[in-house]
Amino acid sequence: MNALASALPLVSLITFLPLAGAILLVFLRGESLKAVRATALAVSLLTFVLSLLLFFGFDGSSGLPEFVERASWMGRGLDYHVGVDGLSLFLVLLAAFLTPLALLSSWRAIGDRVKEFSVFMLLLETGMIGVFVSLNLFLFYVFWEAMLIPMYFLIGIWGGPRRIYATMKFVLFTMFGSLLMLVGIFVLHAAYHQATGSYSLTIADLAGLSLSPSLQTWLFLGFGLAFAIKVPLFPLHTWLPDAHVEAPTAGSVLLAAVLLKMGAYGFLRLGLPLFPRAAASFAPALSVLAVIGIIYGGLMALVQKDMKSLVAYSSVSHMGLVMLALFSLNFEATEGAIYQMLNHGLSTGALFLCVGVLYERTHTRKIADYGGAAARMPIFAGIFLVVMLSSAGLPGLNGFAGEILCFFGIFAANKVLAALSVTTVILSAAYLLWLYRRVLHGPIRDPGDARLRELDKRELAYLVPIIVLIIFMGLFPGVFLRKMDASVSRYLDAIKTPSATSLGLITAPEQSQAAEIRPELER
Amino acid sequence: MGSPLALAPLLAVTAGALIALLFEAFLRKKDSEIPAALAVAALLAAGFFSVVSWNEPGLSSFGGRLVLDPLARLLVVIVIVLGLFVVLMSLKYAVRMGLALGPLCGLLLLAVAGVMIMVSTRDWLIVFLGLEVLSVASYALTGLRLHDQASSEAAAKYFLMGSFAAAFFVFGLALVFGTSGRLELGSAVTGASALAGLGLIVSALFFKIAVAPFHMWAPDVYEGAPTPVTVFLTIAPKAAGLAVLLRALSPLLRAESAAAVLSPALSVAAVLTMFAGNLAALRQTSLKRLLAYSSIAHSGYLLVAVVARDAASLVFYAAVYLFMNAGAFAVLIALSGRGLERASLDDIAGLGRRKPWLAAPLAVFLLSLAGFPPTAGFLAKFYVFGAAVREGHIALTIAAVLASLVSVAYYLKVIVAMYMREGETESEPWLEDPALYLVIFLCLFGVVELGLWPGNLLTLIRQAFPGPF
Repeated sequence: MNALASALPLVSLITFLPLAGAILLVFLRGESLKAVRATALAVSLLTFVLSLLLFFGFDGSSGLPEFVERASWMGRGLDYHVGVDGLSLFLVLLAAFLTPLALLSSWRAIGDRVKEFSVFMLLLETGMIGVFVSLNLFLFYVFWEAMLIPMYFLIGIWGGPRRIYATMKFVLFTMFGSLLMLVGIFVLHAAYHQATGSYSLTIADLAGLSLSPSLQTWLFLGFGLAFAIKVPLFPLHTWLPDAHVEAPTAGSVLLAAVLLKMGAYGFLRLGLPLFPRAAASFAPALSVLAVIGIIYGGLMALVQKDMKSLVAYSSVSHMGLVMLALFSLNFEATEGAIYQMLNHGLSTGALFLCVGVLYERTHTRKIADYGGAAARMPIFAGIFLVVMLSSAGLPGLNGFAGEILCFFGIFAANKVLAALSVTTVILSAAYLLWLYRRVLHGPIRDPGDARLRELDKRELAYLVPIIVLIIFMGLFPGVFLRKMDASVSRYLDAIKTPSATSLGLITAPEQSQAAEIRPELER
Repeated sequence: MGSPLALAPLLAVTAGALIALLFEAFLRKKDSEIPAALAVAALLAAGFFSVVSWNEPGLSSFGGRLVLDPLARLLVVIVIVLGLFVVLMSLKYAVRMGLALGPLCGLLLLAVAGVMIMVSTRDWLIVFLGLEVLSVASYALTGLRLHDQASSEAAAKYFLMGSFAAAFFVFGLALVFGTSGRLELGSAVTGASALAGLGLIVSALFFKIAVAPFHMWAPDVYEGAPTPVTVFLTIAPKAAGLAVLLRALSPLLRAESAAAVLSPALSVAAVLTMFAGNLAALRQTSLKRLLAYSSIAHSGYLLVAVVARDAASLVFYAAVYLFMNAGAFAVLIALSGRGLERASLDDIAGLGRRKPWLAAPLAVFLLSLAGFPPTAGFLAKFYVFGAAVREGHIALTIAAVLASLVSVAYYLKVIVAMYMREGETESEPWLEDPALYLVIFLCLFGVVELGLWPGNLLTLIRQAFPGPF
């Protein structure tokens, strides 16, 4: 396995295979929808299989990026440099796992311009994976921005009635932040040149720079704004409900499951390690915003009449918890945050898929239109229940493992915020169970004249894998956390002792063997 | 004495221009394509002459008044490629719109010659010479559609305003020469009247480049001119004017005293231009006019490179801008069936469904103009803004990125119309023209190639301008 993995440029393959598939689709002749759908699905499944190779081949004991590929691209530090470490590995897997499911989920929902749809989905996959595997800041930015284009089309072409407004808002909000980040990248590029006389935008090199406090502050604000919009952190979240509600199901799934993670990942990969001092001084303020987001998102979710916007606000709430955990800056919270990112990806993705299932049958997302669906669709009701409980953090399911780690870490950092953030458990249980009761229980009501059918095989094919993974991740979190340990402690060391490791950070890999062993929580 | 090779590109183009114009007089068939073939031959010859001498530093002629240095050579090649594109675009277009190819090609070659003169001199008088050759040819080109009111109006407007600018230029030159007795670009200016003179010269050049507040003429002229001519006008005079500005101002910007005045003034002009162009473009419904305003905004981005004294990123931006702008206008020409020349956003609604192979390239060009990676437009902005930050112009850079955020809104508006709205299904006559499609393909290739694998061009530019680019 490892021999095979080392012989292949695995990370590049995973990143660009969807792109190759997209190009293939563009030039595919013939109008057979089946062929187009099957090709797209096959490409994304192959990508997922390759990403499994990555998972099994990943060692993770050093905490350094593995499967590293590096090539000179444009010179002056603008290099092609990819690899995965414990922080990014699972996000790559998440994107590779959910894309085929999202494609499968849209076989009936998307009947118009199927080829274009599949092309944009595959392009989106390349963009998402590219963001997570980039080890060079320039490359990161290229993927980060490029990924907006397919999402823009996905929402704008196949979205709901207010799709154009939603997609423009999405793009402009996100770009506003990322353009300021771009200015920050220029500053870093120039600062690195000034400090060392050579050029580099390798993230690890930049982390070794000792920047002046004021410069750190400005840069952190620039980068942080870009990421906070993407997360989204309260009060920058207003684009999210619009985008989610208007996007087609597959778009919502990837938006919630993967795109939102990019913001948190940005803090993890760049915001905190590059500007540790500034991050530490802003952490309290950002934590407060995160807590406000948790509570506000939960309360807003309670009063939503549209299922999709309910799930959208629940994302604001859940991502608030992830951010709070990240800013707690300790080991448990950080691992919990990463784990919770995966959980949120799975459970929110699955929630959107479930809403999509209902919407496909009835063409309404109004909660009030539904009632007693469980009687018509018992299997669906069971799946929906598991997904919902996973999102609400029921012990034994994945959400619990992540949340408990987060809460341990947050509690160690700040007891008041911890107490406030625990409300997420109550709130999410409340809005989700209430949603469940209103839609699936009570007197049977068939919205419109559509009769609710039970799930068919195709729908089971994309829901069951998620359910399996939800249960597996709940029972065996250690399988996943073990691969993160070294990277997370390395990351925290770098933040806690800013610029002590300095430029030695990248040149001396043997130092990394000192990965400490910490208390093994509930594993 | 100088080297004949330095003069060869200019001679080739000028000779081509004269032959094309003379030829027209003796030609019976008015729709013959012979002038176009002549123009292509002349441009290719000029290109050949400038490439063969590539590795010889600083070829000069006329006692050093014309110098083919790296900056000049790169820009000459860019403007030759532009000329080829314009000729290829006009073949069928000219027939359809009733333009005579002879004058079009002849004047185009003359304008190219003017640009060549402007970019390869360090003498203000020669700059003026080149500027006038370029301008006179441009006025005539703009008004080439004799029976079209908009075209004539644009030509008249351009001529009037251009004459004022020329007068400014000459008066400013008189002041500079009168006080300092020197005519070299970049020589130090001392004293109020010399500074005023320089200001007049710079504003005359701003007029040519369409920099705010001297840009008022631009949208009407760009919209009224025949579209291939618009392509030329939105790129060539800008490249030439900016090259002159760069040569003249970068020594001054290096000196503390002059920089204190010049740098803020240029920055303000750049910011004004970017926002004037972008904000006005937001409200346009005609595609051609939208691109006209967008072109004003791009003058602002290019001016940022001048403020940063960075020739390398200026040249890179100009090369990229050539491909994305020419490409966008080329698609517009392809859309110009009967009277659709001024296609509105409603006309192109649903284009993605009706003409996917025209809509997709246009979308790529627009995304590139908006600066999305991985297109070349992103990289161009990356280098220009990066240079500005390197030189410490952080506020200017922030203004520039915010301006490009505004621009995203209207470029995407066009894509919204093409892909996200449904249009009437009746099919308008499209301009089926292999040469035009070749141009679109080449531009598309350029935009993608320079966005993903710009290595070759970067190497050339880095050889030409050693520095942190």
